[in-house]
Amino acid sequence: MNRLLPLVLLAGLLAFGSASFAREQSIQMLHPLQEPFLAPEFELKGEDGTLYRLSDYRGQVVILNFWATWCPPCREEMPSMERAWQKIKEKGIVIIAVNVGEDEDTIFAFTGEYPVTFPLPMDIDGAVIKKYPVVGLPTTYIISPEGIVTHRAVGPREWDHSQLLDQLRNMLN
Amino acid sequence: MASIIKALSTSLWRLSLTTIVTFCFFSETAFSVTLTTGKDDQSFLPYWKIEESGMSLRFVQRIPDQVRAFFLSRGFSTEDAEHIATSCAFQTVLTNTSHKTVPDPLNFDLHEWVVTHKGMKSGMKTREDWSKEWDKKKVSENSKLTFKWALVPTQMEYLPNDYNWGMSFFNLKPGSVFDLKVVWRQYDKTHDYVIKGIQCAPDIHPDPETFRNE
Repeated sequence: MNRLLPLVLLAGLLAFGSASFAREQSIQMLHPLQEPFLAPEFELKGEDGTLYRLSDYRGQVVILNFWATWCPPCREEMPSMERAWQKIKEKGIVIIAVNVGEDEDTIFAFTGEYPVTFPLPMDIDGAVIKKYPVVGLPTTYIISPEGIVTHRAVGPREWDHSQLLDQLRNMLN
Repeated sequence: MASIIKALSTSLWRLSLTTIVTFCFFSETAFSVTLTTGKDDQSFLPYWKIEESGMSLRFVQRIPDQVRAFFLSRGFSTEDAEHIATSCAFQTVLTNTSHKTVPDPLNFDLHEWVVTHKGMKSGMKTREDWSKEWDKKKVSENSKLTFKWALVPTQMEYLPNDYNWGMSFFNLKPGSVFDLKVVWRQYDKTHDYVIKGIQCAPDIHPDPETFRNE
């Protein structure tokens, strides 16, 4: 028994180690919502005049981000979001970053500083953000191909992190 | 063979003991709050930061001039921007760091936080408090929208690894010194901590170069 005890402890140690590893792995993962909900529909114009309608993206995974140019953590995640976009566009995953409360000129100036190529529709009067349970910027929702909001991230993420991209790709299956 | 088993057994005992000691250390320190203060690397302004195993909260002073400029450029009148700027603003960064230890949601409600200034207790000035003022003053909808989203939310649940920035207001005059009782919920427990001697930024107009080198 005396000799078996260390082996038992080793098994515990391995289990503990695995749990720690799993926790490290979860750093960039998106957490599922306890109560997924149907994504409220919207139709907004982009700064270039393009009309964006959420339902047009049914069948794809949608990364729906709410942001503003004056919000430091929003700016922080934009470059990684653009890098992610370059990897995932045309692969069934779309990024829509809804700007809250600002106009074309402000967004145009921002994209001069932070070149992004994914859609930036403008929620000038805040009507769309009201439809979602957002309490702080940035907040990002993941919408399944069926139009269900399944995950949420508050604050910036490294959107081009391989774990996070794998998680998004798996949502397509 | 017996000596190999004995050596392995000894090593495993040592390893196991280390694990147990580490686990005990973690358990012992899991709910102890550490406070750090200093000058923020980017703004060169004073900060107060508390950390526990699952959360981190940092307040960085905002000089009234910064706040004035921000809100004047977002449609507020000179009078309203002055009122906001002299209400003791801090940049507030709250993070759920539990993904590094034991992942668990973090909840807070600013109504439970207590400001103590010169022996008087009061609450923070929340989005909703400000909103009532803006409604009376007929501030434009767009300015109200920006104001709302610039502030820390009044109630919030942060999932592991969530974090956010926002302004918080303590409704005190520039330069006031106060204590703040912070309350949050995590790991099925209500936690609180009193940060003593937080100072609202004085209403100064510093020269950037001098200020940086102070």
